[in-house]
Amino acid sequence: MSQPTPEVYERGRGMDAHNQAMREIRAEKDASYDPHEPTRVWLDEDNTPGGVYQSLTIILNTGGCRWARAGGCTMCGYVAESVEGGSVTHEALMDQVDACLEHERENADGPAPLVKIYTSGSFLDEREVSAESRRAIAETFADRERIVVESLPDFISREKVRDFTQHGLQTDVAVGLETATDRVRHDCVNKYFDFADFEDACAEVRAVNEAGVKAYLLMKPPFLSEREALEDTISSVRRCGAVDGCHTVSVNPCNVQRYTMVDELHFRDGYRPPWLWSVAAMLERTTDTDAIVVSDPVGHGSDRGAHNCGECDDRVQTAIKDFDLRQDPSVFEQVSCACERTWELVLAEERSYSQPLVN
Amino acid sequence: MTDYFEVHDRDGAARLGELRLTEPVTTPALVAGADPDDPNADSRVDTDDDAASTGDDAGYSRHPDTAAIIRDGGSLWTDDRAVPDGEADVLTILPHRAFPAGTREEVIDSFAPSWPAIDGPSAAVISGDAPTVIVDAGESRGESTDDTGAATDDTEAATDDTGTPPVDAFVLSNAQGVVGHASAFVDAVVRTREAVPPDTALYLAGVATPRNVATLVYAGVDLVDATAARVAGSRGRYLTTDDERFLEDLRELPCSCPACRVPRSEFDRRDCERHNVNVLAGELRRVRQRIREGRLRDYLEGQARHDQWTTATMRELDQEYSYLERRTPVVRDEQVTAATDDTLRRVEIQRFAERVTSRYRCRFDGPLVLVPCSARKPYSESQSHGQFRDAIQYRAHLVSMTSPIGVVPQELELTYPAQHYDTVVTGEWTETEKTFVADVLRAYLRRTDYPRVIAHVPPDGYRDICERVAADVDVPFEFTVADHPTTTDSISSLMQTLDGEEKYRKRERQHNTVRAIADYQFGDGAGDALFPDLQTTSRYPKLQLRDGEGEQLATMVPNYGVLSFTLAGARRWADSAAPTKRVEIDSFVPRGSVLAPGVVDADEAIRVGDEVVVEGPDAFAVGRAQMFGREMRAATRGVAVKVRHVEER
Repeated sequence: MSQPTPEVYERGRGMDAHNQAMREIRAEKDASYDPHEPTRVWLDEDNTPGGVYQSLTIILNTGGCRWARAGGCTMCGYVAESVEGGSVTHEALMDQVDACLEHERENADGPAPLVKIYTSGSFLDEREVSAESRRAIAETFADRERIVVESLPDFISREKVRDFTQHGLQTDVAVGLETATDRVRHDCVNKYFDFADFEDACAEVRAVNEAGVKAYLLMKPPFLSEREALEDTISSVRRCGAVDGCHTVSVNPCNVQRYTMVDELHFRDGYRPPWLWSVAAMLERTTDTDAIVVSDPVGHGSDRGAHNCGECDDRVQTAIKDFDLRQDPSVFEQVSCACERTWELVLAEERSYSQPLVN
Repeated sequence: MTDYFEVHDRDGAARLGELRLTEPVTTPALVAGADPDDPNADSRVDTDDDAASTGDDAGYSRHPDTAAIIRDGGSLWTDDRAVPDGEADVLTILPHRAFPAGTREEVIDSFAPSWPAIDGPSAAVISGDAPTVIVDAGESRGESTDDTGAATDDTEAATDDTGTPPVDAFVLSNAQGVVGHASAFVDAVVRTREAVPPDTALYLAGVATPRNVATLVYAGVDLVDATAARVAGSRGRYLTTDDERFLEDLRELPCSCPACRVPRSEFDRRDCERHNVNVLAGELRRVRQRIREGRLRDYLEGQARHDQWTTATMRELDQEYSYLERRTPVVRDEQVTAATDDTLRRVEIQRFAERVTSRYRCRFDGPLVLVPCSARKPYSESQSHGQFRDAIQYRAHLVSMTSPIGVVPQELELTYPAQHYDTVVTGEWTETEKTFVADVLRAYLRRTDYPRVIAHVPPDGYRDICERVAADVDVPFEFTVADHPTTTDSISSLMQTLDGEEKYRKRERQHNTVRAIADYQFGDGAGDALFPDLQTTSRYPKLQLRDGEGEQLATMVPNYGVLSFTLAGARRWADSAAPTKRVEIDSFVPRGSVLAPGVVDADEAIRVGDEVVVEGPDAFAVGRAQMFGREMRAATRGVAVKVRHVEER
């Protein structure tokens, strides 16, 4: 398969500009983090091809995303949460894993059958997480049923995936595809790989038994109108669902993270996160997709997360979470609000040159 | 090449224009925003159509004032787009990369698209944060790009030599970020309007409300839409020209538009959408009428006060003096309403004060008599000034003090806006007024050389100003009014004060008057440079100016108090040391008017209403400017000069 690297793609003028802007924005961040503590850890429920599981989600603090050091994605502020400059040692990483297990012991009834591991970049990038650490972590969670690890397509290989499946773990490689539209991924998200690379990565993972791909999509990157964003996500969900090996599509409505280009646009009234109605419409309109389609709007109801009018946000969020577990679109028939009319007007009338029509 | 937009009338930065579609649209206009009752509106939302097709609003029913004339060529962020075919009945927005508010300049620069020329009305989306990144501020439009549009392939840049897109209108992509913030808004509109060709329209999408649209247009926006008003209605926001209210807080509907002719209890959010669009459309009609009348500013000084940011915008624009001054006519027939302190900062007022204190020359030797203005214009026709004149008997130079003009020497009492303003008379002066008039009087006295100043002014405001100024100038002030300027005592005191002063003659008075007007109109010293051997004939105020041989050079125009030249006068002007405003034209002989495409070059200093000399290989002419200089050079449509006299060469 092709091996795209950030360097290859940095030729484009648009990418140069995005990277320069993002580097400047990220430079405004002045904080450092303890390499022995995970960035975040929490317990939840997740829908997987094997059913709904209790889940332990871990965000490891690694050296950070290689791509983000060049500038990186316009909406991503996670890099700002990584250890400054350096990489994290094997020992420190294992301390972080221990802290997560401690958190689980304190807050859960027992070991969660599903473990999801993210970094601010790619778990399978050995500059972030060494082969030694990867194998040790696989071993640590060998008693679980299912594991999710996130990576850019470049770093995915069947050998690395087998590090997990050899322990009998159902393994899902999560890929932040963001959108199936290369043009939007390049120009709006500033992410360097192509849909073809995602397809190649899916083929690579599918070569391993007991492994599959979970695609992460970004709903409403900057520069798109609400309707453009909705249509782009719907077509992306369908295209992902059509790729063999991609069994789950998780849609992240864009939220406004600090030290990002999206944050700058939002601050100047040039960006609004998507409506929760758009998330619901996307889920309703993609039920024919041959994949599990879920969405977990972060910061729902707030100005910086997916939101409606302020009155109905919690109810719509509940319906979305309900849909995630049951995949039944009838959950959306039970929520309505006067602001649906406003959302419809926004879909009909907002253009990228008049956005955001409503905050 | 602007083929489809023409400016017909100007009122400062506001324009009354025409979007020349199959059915012409008078601007400023609402160009998008469908009727909320449209039955297709809901079904459109759930279709699986590609996003690109949403620009096509075929089948929409519209508010009568909301023309369905925008066709969106689509966003280049989401897809590569074919160059659309131009259509005569819509304004096609060329495929665009819109940069929302807050986009960094390096990003705008790197993604800046090129603009194809199409056969038909078209618009380009640019960012007011960096208009010149896309639109070169070049003076000339370069060669024409028409007729090549159909063949343009979709990646080929078709901007002309200056980088200016060959379009009829520009859309500001950061409108949402600047509307509501006075300085950012003024900055975006001023920078954009100064960068784009003057005969292109400016469209701000999704921002107009009944309360802000007068301000948007006043700043220089030509196209808006009903979208924001509709969306506000859908959220239960009831809009009027003075406020925005929650529908549920209204016990009665403060409006009688068709949507509001239902009982309050039956009025719902759909009605609210319709009402909001109605009010916006009505307000825009009023704004258009105001532009026709040349009186948008008078309206805005009152209406803008209903919101902080619109008031701030008006004031911030007053600080953009050169932007507004360039676009403000030097003379007009319309009245100036002086009802607020903001009037003092109007271009017309500032320009008069500036010219009186830097161009005008006093040619009288005697003392100065300062008197209060009169409500009646010109002052000399008022009863009070009749009494002053009888008392003075041509033994002194008469200058009126007034807010908001400052000081008006008797020679300029007809000159715009000295006889065109109407102020609010209470006898009370605000500190701003006092400061302004004192500043003008001080500057006036420093430039003149009177042996005495006789302040025949009432107590309080006028006297206060005189005393402030007297302390700062060398010439002594004498005060001749105890109670009121027209009482018998005051008048006789004024008479006696002038005992022994020499009378000046009528001829001297008339010569001084027309020379003073020439100074004011054409520049410092112009009165002497143009008319060294002056004779005047006919009666004031319709004086005719002749040279020593008796040939007529100019006529005084009583309704504006300016001079208009004959051909002989224009030749003398062109040959004189006084700065001449010239328009260079192609080889043709203009009849009646010079159209903009015929202009080869024009002085930057030309303002609407200015006398101009028109010269070309085949003709010499004189007339009155209908555009400002930069507009004449860059415009491709419209009347540049109304020609009064022409001679073939």
